[in-house]
Amino acid sequence: MTAIGLTHYLLIGAVLFVCGVVCMAIKRNAIGVLMGVELVLNGATVNFAAFARFHDAFRVEGQIFALFTIVLAAAEAAIALAIVLNFYNNYLTVDVDSAEELKG
Amino acid sequence: MLENPGLLLVAATLLPLVSFMLLLIGGRHWGRMAGWVATAAIGGAFVLSVLAFACYLPYSGLLAHNHEHSSASHHDKDGHEHKLKQAQGSMSDPHDHSHDHIPAGKRDPAIPPWQGGVVWAQTSNGEAGQASVFRLGFYVDGLTVAMFVMITLVATLIHIFSTGYMAEELQAELEDHQAHVVRRGRYPRFFTYMSLFCFSMLNLVLADNLFQIFVSWELVGICSYLLIGYYYERQSASNAANKAFITNRIGDAGFIVGLAILWTYTGTLTLHDTVHERKTANGEIRHELEPGVFSRVRMPGKDVHGEPLPGELDKWFGNFVRVQPIETANGAGAEVRYRFHPQGDFVLLFSGHFHGDDLTNPEGISANTFPTNEGLALIPYWALVAAGIGIFLGCVGKSAQFPLHVWLPDAMEGPTPVSALIHAATMVAAGVYLVGRAFPLFTPEVLLIIAYVGAATLFIAATIALVQTDIKKVLAYSTVSQLGFMMLALGVGGWIAGLFHLLTHAFFKALLFLGSGSVIHGCHHEQDMMKMGGLYDKMKITAGTMLVGVLAIAGAPLFSGWYSKDAIMVSALAFVTHYPQHILLFLLPLVTVAMTAFYMFRLWYLTFTGEPRDEHVYQNAQESPWVMTMPLIVLAFFSVVVAWGLPPWDPHASALEHYLDHEMPIYLHPDPGNQLQDEFLAPVRKYVEQPETFPNIQLPEPGTLAGLLALLSAGIGFLLATTVYYWGYFDPEATREQFARVYAFLCEKWHFDELYRWMAVRPALVLARVCRWFDLHVIDGLVDGSARVTVKISQWDGKFDLGIIDGLVNLTANIIYAIGAWLRNVQTGLLRNYVLFLALAAIGIFAVVSYILALVG
Repeated sequence: MTAIGLTHYLLIGAVLFVCGVVCMAIKRNAIGVLMGVELVLNGATVNFAAFARFHDAFRVEGQIFALFTIVLAAAEAAIALAIVLNFYNNYLTVDVDSAEELKG
Repeated sequence: MLENPGLLLVAATLLPLVSFMLLLIGGRHWGRMAGWVATAAIGGAFVLSVLAFACYLPYSGLLAHNHEHSSASHHDKDGHEHKLKQAQGSMSDPHDHSHDHIPAGKRDPAIPPWQGGVVWAQTSNGEAGQASVFRLGFYVDGLTVAMFVMITLVATLIHIFSTGYMAEELQAELEDHQAHVVRRGRYPRFFTYMSLFCFSMLNLVLADNLFQIFVSWELVGICSYLLIGYYYERQSASNAANKAFITNRIGDAGFIVGLAILWTYTGTLTLHDTVHERKTANGEIRHELEPGVFSRVRMPGKDVHGEPLPGELDKWFGNFVRVQPIETANGAGAEVRYRFHPQGDFVLLFSGHFHGDDLTNPEGISANTFPTNEGLALIPYWALVAAGIGIFLGCVGKSAQFPLHVWLPDAMEGPTPVSALIHAATMVAAGVYLVGRAFPLFTPEVLLIIAYVGAATLFIAATIALVQTDIKKVLAYSTVSQLGFMMLALGVGGWIAGLFHLLTHAFFKALLFLGSGSVIHGCHHEQDMMKMGGLYDKMKITAGTMLVGVLAIAGAPLFSGWYSKDAIMVSALAFVTHYPQHILLFLLPLVTVAMTAFYMFRLWYLTFTGEPRDEHVYQNAQESPWVMTMPLIVLAFFSVVVAWGLPPWDPHASALEHYLDHEMPIYLHPDPGNQLQDEFLAPVRKYVEQPETFPNIQLPEPGTLAGLLALLSAGIGFLLATTVYYWGYFDPEATREQFARVYAFLCEKWHFDELYRWMAVRPALVLARVCRWFDLHVIDGLVDGSARVTVKISQWDGKFDLGIIDGLVNLTANIIYAIGAWLRNVQTGLLRNYVLFLALAAIGIFAVVSYILALVG
C-alpha cells in the first residue's frame, strides 16, 4: 500500500462532489437539495485543503480558500433555508418540482 | 448752399422709394395711414423739388432776361455762348474742372448741370482697353428741375385726391358691382403702387444715361400695368392691363434695339459728358472727361488740347459729320481713309481724345470702326437712323402714339387718380420727354417720322374723341391727341414748344381727369355722360374747375394751353413754310384744334348743363369731399397761371417758355455768324447758314399768323359745341343718322382694335393653338409614354421586391423562429432538470476538452 497522497484526497473530493450533484438532481425535497449543495461545497473544500497540504504553491491560499468556502457555505445555508421557508409559504410544500415558473 | 444741389432731387426721388418699401413691408395693416405715408413722401419730394428749383433759378437765365419778352424766337446769345464755351472748355481741359473746383455760390451762372453718379456695373477691359460702364447717375438741368416740380406737384395733389377717392377701399368687405364679387378693400396696395410709380417716374427724369432711363421706363410700365389692373376681378380691367403691357412691349423692343445700336457703336449710353476722377501712376488725381453720346455723335467745339479746330472745322460745331470711304488703288492691305461727304454712308464719332489735325489730313481721315475712347470712330448712317427710330418706337409705345395708341383708352379701367397721374400727366408724357431729352440723337429722317406720327395721332385720336360717351374715354383720346401735338412739335424741330406743351398739359389734363373722377365719385361710379346732365347745381366746384381745364385745353387766351398750343402751331407753320410738301403737318393740327375745343365743350355741356337725363343718377349726385375738391382748385389755379409771363396777354412772353428756351440743348442752337467756304461742309452749312432750316429751326418773328389761325379754329369748335349741346339748335341725333357710317367708323375707333385682332391677336391665337396641340399630343404624349413605361417597370420591380427579396429575409426570420421555438423546450422550469443539465454540460465540456487535449498532446 502506498502512503495516502494527494490523489486520494482528490478522489474523496470528487466522490463527495458527485454525490452532491446526484443528490441535487434526484431529491425532490428542497432540504435534500440543500444537503446536496453542502456536499458539493465540502468536496471542493477537501480539494483546497489537499492542495494546501501537498502543493507548495497553494500552501496558504488553499487553506484560506477552504476557510472562505466554509464561511460561504454557512451563509449560503442561511439564505437557502430562508428561500425554502418562502417556498413553503407560497406552495405549502417543499417539493421543488411543484415550482416551474422558470419554464420558457 | 449745397455743394451739389442736384442731390436735393436725388433725395426727392428716393423719398417715394422709402415710402414704397415701408408700405410693402408693413402697409397691409395700416389702413388710412398708408395713404398718409405715401402722400407725405411725395409731398416731401415736392418740397425738395421746389427747393432745387429755387437753387436753380439763378442759373436758368430766366431772372436776368424776363424783361425781354418781345419775341418767342429770341435767343439769349450771351448765355448761349457761355454754354457753348462751357461745353468746349470742358472738352479742352480735363485737369481743371470748374464743376468741381469753383466753390458753390461762385459758380459760373452759365454752368447749369449739376451731375453726379456712381458706377453700377462695369465690364472687364476689352481688347480695346476700354471698360464698359453702367452708371447710376443723375443729370440735372432746367428741364429736369421743371419736370420734377411738375411731377411732384401733380402727384402730391393726386395723392391727396386719392385719399378721398379711394376711401371705400378701406372697408374690410367691399362689393364690386361690375365684377359681381365681394372682396377685401385694397387701400394700402393702391398707395404702394403709387409710391413705386412716383419713384420710377422721378428716376426716369433724373437719369443721366439711357440705360437707367430704360430701367425706369420698364418700372413705370409695370406700375401702369398693376394700377390699370387694380380692379383685377373685372375681366375688362385685367384685359386692359395686359393690352397696355403688351403694346408697350412692342415699343420697348424697338427701344432696346436702339440702345443696343448706340451701345455697340459708341460704347456708352451716358447722355451728357461726365467727369471721372482717376489716379495717375504718381498718385495725382486727374479729372478725365468722358464724352456722352451727344458729344460723340455731334461735332464738339474743340479738340483734346483745347485748341479750336483748324481751318473751318470749328464752324461745324453741333452737327452730324458724314464721311465717305476713299477708294484707293493700293488694294486690300491699305488702311481705309475717309473724306467728308454730304451724303456719306458714315457719321464720325468723336471720342474723348482726338486731335484737330486728324480731321485736316490731306490723305483723308483715319477712323476706328469699333468703339474706343481714343480718337475718331464711325457709325453707319443707317445705324444712327435705326437707333433714332428704335428709341422713338419706345416713345410711341409709352406715349400712346399711332399706331400703338390703342392701349391708352382701355387703360381707363384703372382708378381715376391713376388715369390722372399715370395716363395723363406723367408716364405717357415720358415718351415726349425722352424724345426731347434724346433730341440730339435724331437725324432729319427720324424727326420727320416723329412729326408725321404725331400728326397722325393727334388727328385720329381727336376724331374718335368726338363720339365717345364715356367721360373718361373722351379724356383718354384727348390725351392721346395732345401727346400727338407734342410729338409733332418735337418732330418739326420745336423742341421748346413740345416740352412746353408737355408741362402745361400735365396740369390741365390732371385737372380734367380729377374732375371727371370727382364726377364719377359723386355719381356713384356712373361714367356714361348720356346719363348725366345738369350736374352743375349739384357740384359747383367740380364744374367750375373743370371748365377751367376745358378752356385751357381748348386754348382759350390767357389759359396755359393757349401759350403752349400757340408755340406748337408757330413751329409747325415755320416748318411748313420751308417745306411746303409737308403742309399736312400744319393742316392736321389746325383742324384738330377745332375738334379739341368741340369735344371738350361737348363733354362739359353734356355733364353739367341741360336737363338731367337720368333721374336716378341726378338724385344721388353730390359734391365730393374737400380732399377731392381742394386738389381741383389748386390744379385749376396752375392750369391758368403756369405759363404766364409779362405781360400775360402776349403769347410769346411766357416765362415758362423762356425758361425752356434757355434749356435747349446747345447742339440745336443755330449759329448764324458762320460763313463756310469748304465744299465738304455743305450739309453743315445748310443748317448753319440758314438757321431757320430744319431741324435747327428759328421761329419766324412774331408767329402771329399761326396763333390767330389756331384761335380761330378753337373758336369754331367752341361755337359748334355750344350750338349743338348748349343751345340745342341742332339735334346731334339727326347728324348721327345722317353720317351713320362715319359715326360707326369713329365709334369703332377707326377699327384699329379689329385690325390688330386680325393682324396680331388672331395669328397669335392660331399659333398658340397649334403649339397647344403639339404640346398636348406630342410633348405630353412623350411624357405620358415614358411615365407609363416607368409605372410598368415599377410594378415589376415591386413584385420582385415583395416576392424574392422580402421572401429571403422572411425565410431567415422564420427559420430562426422555428429554432427558437424548439429550443424553448429546454427551459423546463424544474430545478432538478437544471442541475442535471449543468452536470451533463460540465461533463460534456470536460469530455470535449480532454479529447482535444488528447489530440493535441
